[in-house]
Amino acid sequence: MSALPETVVTGGGGFSSRRAAREVWAYRDTVLAFAERNVRVKYKQTLLGALWVVLQPLAFMVVFTVALGRLADVPSAGTTYEAFSLSAFVAWSFVQNAVTQGANSLVADAAFLRKVYFPREVPVLAAQLSAAVDFGVGLLVFFVLGPILGAEVAITWLLAPLLFVGLFVMATGASLLLAGLNVYYRDFRNALPFLMQLWLFASPVVYPATVIPEKWQPLYALVNPAAGWLDSMRRVLTVGQLPDPSLLVPSLVSTVVLAYAGLRLFRRLEPNFADVV
Amino acid sequence: MSVDAAVVFENVSKRYVRGDAQYTSLRGQLAGLVRHREPAERSRPALEDVSFRVEHGESLALVGPNGAGKTTALKLLAQISRPTAGSIRFRGRLAALIEVSSGLHPELSGRENIWLYGRILGMSRADIRRQFDAIVEFSELGDVLERPVKMYSSGMELRLGFSIASHLDPDIFIVDEALAVGDAGFQAKCVERMTALVREGRTLLFVSHNLQAVEALCERSLFLLGGRLEMEGPSREVIARYLEWTDEHRQRLLGESAAGARGPVRLTAATLHGLDGAERYEFEPGEGLEVRLRFESDGPVRGPHVNLGISDARAGLLVQCSMLHDGRAPEEMPASWECRCRIESLPLKPRLYDVFCDVYGERGHGVLSEWSRVAAFRVVGVMGGGPLAVSDVDTSGPVSVGYDWRLEAR
Repeated sequence: MSALPETVVTGGGGFSSRRAAREVWAYRDTVLAFAERNVRVKYKQTLLGALWVVLQPLAFMVVFTVALGRLADVPSAGTTYEAFSLSAFVAWSFVQNAVTQGANSLVADAAFLRKVYFPREVPVLAAQLSAAVDFGVGLLVFFVLGPILGAEVAITWLLAPLLFVGLFVMATGASLLLAGLNVYYRDFRNALPFLMQLWLFASPVVYPATVIPEKWQPLYALVNPAAGWLDSMRRVLTVGQLPDPSLLVPSLVSTVVLAYAGLRLFRRLEPNFADVV
Repeated sequence: MSVDAAVVFENVSKRYVRGDAQYTSLRGQLAGLVRHREPAERSRPALEDVSFRVEHGESLALVGPNGAGKTTALKLLAQISRPTAGSIRFRGRLAALIEVSSGLHPELSGRENIWLYGRILGMSRADIRRQFDAIVEFSELGDVLERPVKMYSSGMELRLGFSIASHLDPDIFIVDEALAVGDAGFQAKCVERMTALVREGRTLLFVSHNLQAVEALCERSLFLLGGRLEMEGPSREVIARYLEWTDEHRQRLLGESAAGARGPVRLTAATLHGLDGAERYEFEPGEGLEVRLRFESDGPVRGPHVNLGISDARAGLLVQCSMLHDGRAPEEMPASWECRCRIESLPLKPRLYDVFCDVYGERGHGVLSEWSRVAAFRVVGVMGGGPLAVSDVDTSGPVSVGYDWRLEAR
């Protein structure tokens, strides 16, 4: 009997990101189960099913191409505004879906939180994964539609998955931060759509990062960790350029800070989740 | 006791944040900061300094009134909630047989839910593949497996949820009262499954108000009261102590409720007696019972109709003795009088019963004394040894009649 692994439950203990990672890894199958459920549920009883993954960025592209590209003549960084905005919206849709679902995941799955043990990061991570599936589909669509709309087919496309890892970590950090707070303060659920809207317009999605004066760009990418990733994603997808380090490096730094702070706050709030959710 | 126990609680305490702070908003929190509320004032202890251990293969019951901390203790062990102080250690895989239907996803089919839910509860894909048919068979939902769960009845949902949870394969399992779901046949299956797991040598922690089940399943019990460990020992002794406590507590409540009843006629004493006239609290199935009621009023009362009712925990009366129904009542009673109601035989099964009473005026008009609970008694004894005898709770019939089975091949 002593061969059975021992589990110790205590009130708290210090924070260790390594221990958090180990616990989540042990429950990777649970993460996958939640993610699979999210994907299945999303397309149950929908007429268009998986088409929605494509329609969302396409609709955004059309709206902003007409409103900004044609009417306001916003610059599009060396490509057509159509390709410019589609590439950005494929990436932005991921951030929007991942953070929105991630932040609401604990409240949405309260039934489980009150009855079953798993590391509380599990539903948050699952939300990132199911959003990542949508991103994968969106990226494939871009590979087909992008060149038709004027994007350059380039070897730099291979960098997109790598940049996506950065975007994924950033979205996870933001989701952990918001999900933990959302359990205690439902204000965040109400504020979330507004926050995401604000974040969209603070990011180089409908306009190129070059509209920011050059000397302010590193600060801009440091304050907004999405900026570097979105700008780099667009460069590699539409014009065959490598990422601009003056944007990517600051965003990398703030992404690491955000992910660490998010996890740390989450772990601090976590012991009482089941009591208050 | 070996050093290597299955479960060890060491000085475990748990305080919940107070109710008003549970569903909070940022604004409320900010207001709280300004008003400097003391943190100690905002939490109450649900469990205080509780220590105990459970050996491998042992089954232990937690008994106690509502709010004693039984469910809290199980929640802490299941890691759903964290202790405020102290530590809990356990060895091996732990799973809770809990009411889990609320987690089933309505849009997904029964089959999809088994797969997803099983994995969320901690089964591996291989476990589920191996157990899938058993889960379906246990739930009796084979015909509707491909339908979305939103089309299931609530009973079907409960059955599916419980079937999945009960096919986990833990070393330690936790059963809370929520088990009492579904129809009687399904309940019997659940008890059977629990008994089988205990016999296989799994460690069981069991919370129930059903003391017969506790006695049948667990050798040892803990009595929790107000978050503290009141007593620990062999189930029989612990249950006896707990019953003593409930009886005292009940008498106290009865005293308060009888004193609180309003009306021109006041009930001053209600006692239960055997047919020999001795005051009694416990009766055996089929025994006779006499209810004695003392009334007082400011003057003589004309034509008081006395009504008595006996019920168990469920709604409605099991027995009614009513002068309103009999159509006869005394012409007039003085300012102080006693009423005795003699029931020759009470065909009731073992459990707790309450006695209610009210008094109506002349020809059944006007309430002289309000309907209230005036006494309680317990029927004791053992009813058979079948699997349902253990789960003899609300769903099984309380009336005991003489019967006899005849079986023959035709």
